[in-house]
Amino acid sequence: MSSSRSFSIKSLLARHETVLVLVILFEVILFQVLGRNFLTGRNFSNVFRHSVEIGLLAVAMTPVILTGGIDLSVGSMMGLCAVLFGMMVNSLGMNPWLAGISAVAFGAMGGGVNALLITRLNLPPLIVTLGTFSLFRGLAEAITKGAESYSGFSPSFLALGNSNIAGLPAQIWVFFIVAAGIWFLVHRTTFGRSFRAIGYASEGARYAGIPVARNTSLAYIIAGAVAGLAAVILVARLGEARANAGIGYELLAITAVVLGGVSIFGGSGTVVGTILGWIALAILNNGLTRISDYKIMDQTVASVARELSGLLTGLLLLTALTIGASTKTLAVRHARKQSLAKPTSNPATS
Amino acid sequence: MKALLQLTDIRKSFGAVRALKGVSFELFPGEVHALLGENGAGKSTLIKVITGAHLPDGGTLVVAGEEVSNLSPSKARELGIACIYQQPALFPDLTVAENIGLRLKKTGVLHRVRWASQRTQAVELLHRIGAEISPDSEVRSLSMPEQQLVEIACALGSGARIVIMDEPTASLTQKEQHLLFKVVRDLRASGVGVVYISHRLEEIFALADRVTVLRDGESVGTNAVESLTEAQMIKLMVGREVSSIYPPSEGEPREVVLSLKNLGCAASGVTGVTLDVRAGEIVGMAGLVGAGRTELARILFGITPADSGEIYLNGERISISNPREAIARGIAYVPEDRRRHGVILEMPIAHNMTMAIHPKFFPGSILRFKAESLLARDFIRDLGIKAYGPEAPGGSLSGGNQQKVSVARWLATKPKLLILDEPTQGVDVGAKSEIHKIIRGLAKEGLAVLMISSDLPEVLGMSDRVAVMRVGKLVELISKENADAHTVMAAALGTNGKDAA
Repeated sequence: MSSSRSFSIKSLLARHETVLVLVILFEVILFQVLGRNFLTGRNFSNVFRHSVEIGLLAVAMTPVILTGGIDLSVGSMMGLCAVLFGMMVNSLGMNPWLAGISAVAFGAMGGGVNALLITRLNLPPLIVTLGTFSLFRGLAEAITKGAESYSGFSPSFLALGNSNIAGLPAQIWVFFIVAAGIWFLVHRTTFGRSFRAIGYASEGARYAGIPVARNTSLAYIIAGAVAGLAAVILVARLGEARANAGIGYELLAITAVVLGGVSIFGGSGTVVGTILGWIALAILNNGLTRISDYKIMDQTVASVARELSGLLTGLLLLTALTIGASTKTLAVRHARKQSLAKPTSNPATS
Repeated sequence: MKALLQLTDIRKSFGAVRALKGVSFELFPGEVHALLGENGAGKSTLIKVITGAHLPDGGTLVVAGEEVSNLSPSKARELGIACIYQQPALFPDLTVAENIGLRLKKTGVLHRVRWASQRTQAVELLHRIGAEISPDSEVRSLSMPEQQLVEIACALGSGARIVIMDEPTASLTQKEQHLLFKVVRDLRASGVGVVYISHRLEEIFALADRVTVLRDGESVGTNAVESLTEAQMIKLMVGREVSSIYPPSEGEPREVVLSLKNLGCAASGVTGVTLDVRAGEIVGMAGLVGAGRTELARILFGITPADSGEIYLNGERISISNPREAIARGIAYVPEDRRRHGVILEMPIAHNMTMAIHPKFFPGSILRFKAESLLARDFIRDLGIKAYGPEAPGGSLSGGNQQKVSVARWLATKPKLLILDEPTQGVDVGAKSEIHKIIRGLAKEGLAVLMISSDLPEVLGMSDRVAVMRVGKLVELISKENADAHTVMAAALGTNGKDAA
């Protein structure tokens, strides 16, 4: 039936994910035309090697935002876990893999602190995680006395951050596993269903017997654990554990999630959307550093890539949000018009 | 004498619900005019029309001889209309004098606050109504009745000619009530017209000159208070015939499913409820708004757990401390606030229907989309839900169909006890009788049903027994044969049932 096909194309176009794929294609073409050596395997490996930590945080942030919450503490958590990891390996002589698992456990505990404050004391997530945002970073700096850093890790551990497995950066494989796990949790289990229900109407979810506190806690604990994992990967890539690891990463992760079409009010959004949002951001950051033939205000684009990428990220995010909001308004208007136009018709025609 | 306020043929609809179907009402200076009616009779809507919060769809509104169209709240205030609500609308962080000053808005040049005159005025107004309240205390520290007195002082100070009081004694003690009555009488003596709304008939006899009774959005007559007896007033309020369209009850009720012994919860104001509900029977719960019926349901469903008394389910003593336990025990609760608690509007109806059975329906927490969709299709067919399919978001359905989705969610739990809270509120007539048929059908299948309803004909038509609650207590249990509008209403109002009948 032609009408149903046109409907499905329309709904495909209306999907946020489709728009993001187009944005990513546009970015790739633009940077390939303007820049140097953009579309090479080596560069592409680099794009993801350098932003995999943010990708991890973004994917783990998705369930939290689906519940209508937010976690500002994940960047600081990375700093704390990185320092704890370095301390365990260097000062305590622990096996780095064991220490890595411990760092993930510490991250989960930190997430548990957030969850406890949010679900038991009914404090707003923004305030709680703003508090732990400072607290975790402060602890990390206290442990290192503000200056110390840990280095001298074994080559086998550093390989996690710098080697390739099957042609892809080793840490990308970790990302795949985590992303697949969270995708399954969000889209294929009752936990994911309950995240949405809580995000749309937490009281309503409670009246349906959903364990709201328990499931909300799970989202924050996962976010914390993944922050711990991201810290270990960052240390493996840099070969150094410092208290300032992951500064500002929480905002980049939230940007990726929101750019990916997850509603900041909770309820709607997909893990695939988040991943696409993250890819769009990562390519934008990398691509600008490849443009050295063009100048902007007497500077080569590459030399001001950082500044420019901040500006463009903001523009991209605001544009995506505006388009999202206006299509939603249009859809609501359309639906209202339809229901007003034929109030007597029986919609149960299927 | 010229009327202060004259409403003629006021009509107001909200969507398909006709809240006011041509109400006429007049108020003279120096008169206390009581407004009486059941829950949902249209009193609140009428007040909101008078205070300018709602624009009527039709009819005329004349204030002090002048016809007013497009009344807004601020215009109403200029015209001398003041309303004292049950819940005082004061700023809790400001002092009494500041609140009064804000309301009267007598500011100086550049909106400068004149602190001294503001305070003097507050002292004077508080003195006039005999309230012993310091003008400098923060409103937060006042009790509810004290706040009400401040509201009255505001109304007085603004020179209001028309004062509306919406159940002003609901939270007052005896002594405060007398103080309030004195204030009302003083207002009357000074030529102010008072619209007085209360469920307590004895107050109306004590205070009011005339009474207008509203029923189903229509005024069924204005009478001098002396010319009516309590029984006649109740009759005017409930007056209609109980229609015979309700599905008949069939078969004898079976074993006791739910048994409550002296159940109470201090936090929600419910005390000493003793009640049995049998399989196959519908127990209707009547009472005024705030009588503790929803609170009782919330106790049984573990939202506000009981702190005294005993609950037995199928003879076994149980305690319920959260909704999940209640669901596991076979208790289902279709909540009153459908849009906030009953259905998640953004989610597909299929997801809504399985929401209470996650652990049972999705073993290992893994979603089964096909099975879910089939279950939803079955309910859509069995309950006659009008929706384009299991994927339709709850919010796209009409109120009656949303209610059916909410019921379906709880039927999916295969409960032993089904608690329904205002199951047909805001539902159109057709869907209403369909829902009634569904409820009766469930009882027939052996469910024990506890149905809370403020719709008196519904309670009388559907129930095998009627339990009446008042101020947190179960005050009467009336069998079907003895249940009529008078006895139920009299029990709910707390007047003597025999006199009323």
